[in-house]
Amino acid sequence: MTDRPDIPDDHDHDSDEPAEPRDDAAAAPGAGDPAEPRQGEPAAGPSFAAGDPLPDEPGAAGRHDPRDAREPLGGAPRDPLRDDPERPVFSFATPDRPPRRLTRSSSDRMIGGVAGGLGRYFDVDPLLFRIGFVVLTFAGGFGLLAYLIGLVAIPSDGEFKPQRWGLARTAGVGLLACAAVATVTPHWFWGPGVPGLVALGVVVYLLVRVIRDEGGSRLAGAAARIALAIALTALAAGGFAAAAAGSALGGGIFIAGAVIALGVALVGGAYRGGARWLIVPALVLALPLGVVSAADLKLDGQWGDRTFRPAQTADLGGGYKMGVGHMQVDLRGVELPRGRTDMPVKLGVGELEVAVPRDVCVTYDVQVGAGQVTTLDDIDDGGLDVNVEGAASAPRGARELHVTADVGAGAVRIGPNFVEEAGGRWRDFGSAVTGPGALNAACKAAA
Amino acid sequence: MKARPGFDPGSLVSGVIIIVLGLLLLADRTGIVDLRFDYWWPAALAAVGGVLLACGLAGPPSGRR
Repeated sequence: MTDRPDIPDDHDHDSDEPAEPRDDAAAAPGAGDPAEPRQGEPAAGPSFAAGDPLPDEPGAAGRHDPRDAREPLGGAPRDPLRDDPERPVFSFATPDRPPRRLTRSSSDRMIGGVAGGLGRYFDVDPLLFRIGFVVLTFAGGFGLLAYLIGLVAIPSDGEFKPQRWGLARTAGVGLLACAAVATVTPHWFWGPGVPGLVALGVVVYLLVRVIRDEGGSRLAGAAARIALAIALTALAAGGFAAAAAGSALGGGIFIAGAVIALGVALVGGAYRGGARWLIVPALVLALPLGVVSAADLKLDGQWGDRTFRPAQTADLGGGYKMGVGHMQVDLRGVELPRGRTDMPVKLGVGELEVAVPRDVCVTYDVQVGAGQVTTLDDIDDGGLDVNVEGAASAPRGARELHVTADVGAGAVRIGPNFVEEAGGRWRDFGSAVTGPGALNAACKAAA
Repeated sequence: MKARPGFDPGSLVSGVIIIVLGLLLLADRTGIVDLRFDYWWPAALAAVGGVLLACGLAGPPSGRR
C-alpha cells in the first residue's frame, strides 16, 4: 500500500490527482484492465492513489470508491445505505466484508440475545459480555440497566420464530403452584402471599412473553421489559439473600469451598477445551459472599420488628440479638449500678435504636458494615466499614453504660430522646430537647 | 499467547484467579483474616478484570474458533 498522504477536502485537487471527474468504474484499480495497473500500485486488491481520500473518510462521498469496482457496470442496483451521502462515516465495512448491523441474537441467547448480539458484532465470546452484565448487576445494578437499554435499543435479528404459550397452560401451572404453596404454608399464603404470588405470576408471565415471543404490541413489549427488569432485580437480590442466609447458617465456608471447587474445575477444564461457563456461577457465588463477609452480615436470630424493655440490670447480661428487622432497645427504665455496665447488641440487617438513660454516662463502640451511625455525642457518620467509638469516658465510680453494637447493614441511633409514636415506632428528637452538646451530659458532669 | 489444541489459557487463568478469590473468602470465614470493604472491592474488581483480560487475550475457546 502506498504511503497515506494528507487527506484533502472536497475542493482540494491540486495534488497529483487530476481535477476533472473520472469515470469511477474505469478509474477503479482492478476494475479496468487488470494487466495495466496504475504506476506505483499493486495490480490486485484495494489501493488508493496519493491524494485520494480513503473510502470512509469525509470527502470520499460522490467520488472514487474502490468497492464500486466489484459492482457490475451499466447502472446495476446499488446499496442505498452505501450510496446515502448522510450515512455514518465510520463503519466496520471493508471491501471483503459487508457492513455489520448490531442486532440481538436469536440463536445465541440466554435471555434476550443482547450479549450474543454484542459478541457477534465485536467478534468475541459472548460469555464475556454475560459475565460483565452479571457482575455489573451486582455492582449497583448497572449491568441490569445496560442490559435493559440493550434490550430496548437493539433490534432483534428477526430470525426467531415465536412459540406461544397457551394462556390456559400458564394459568394451570400457576394454580398448581399456588395450591402447593398454600398447602405448605397456609398462614403465609392467605396473608401477604396471595398478592405476592399474583404479582409474581404476572411478572413471570410477561417474562415468558418477552423471552419466547418477540411479537405483540409495543405496549405488551414495554410491559414485558418492565417485568424482565423486576425479575432480574429480584434475581440479584435473591443471590445476595441466598449468600447471606447461607453465611448466617454457617454455610459461608461451604460457599467459599464451592468457589474454590469451581476454580479447580476451570483449571481442569482448560486442558479439555475450556469450561468458561463456570466463571459465571463462580462469580455469582463469590461476589455476594464477599459483600456479606465484608459487611459481617449475620442473619441468624429473630426477624421482624421488636422492642426490648429490660426492667433490671440482670436482664442486660447476654445483650440482644436479631437477624433482620427494626430493633428498639429501651434502657431508660433500668436502674444501672455504679461502675460500668456492658450491653452488646447485634443486628444483621435493619434499624437499631438504643434509648439510654439521661443520667448515665454512655460510652459505645459501634460497627456497621454498610450504613449510618448517629449517636448522642452529635456523631453522624455513614458509608462502608463505619466504626464509631464514643470519645467520652466515665470517671471512676460513675454510672457508665457501654453499648457495643454490631450491625451488618443498616442504621444505628443511640440517644435518650426517643418518643414512641403510633405503631410503636420511635422518633428521635436528638438535641432538640436538651440542646446541642448536652445529650451525654452525664459524662461531663461526672468528669 | 498461542494456544495448544484443546487447551484454553483463558479458563486456566480464570480458574487460578477464582481459586485465589475463594481462598480469600475461606480465610475470612474461618477467621484467619477480617475481610472488609476496603479490601474486598479492590480484590473483586481485580478478579473480574483479570478474568476478562485473560479471556480476551486468549480469544474464544478452541471449540468456537
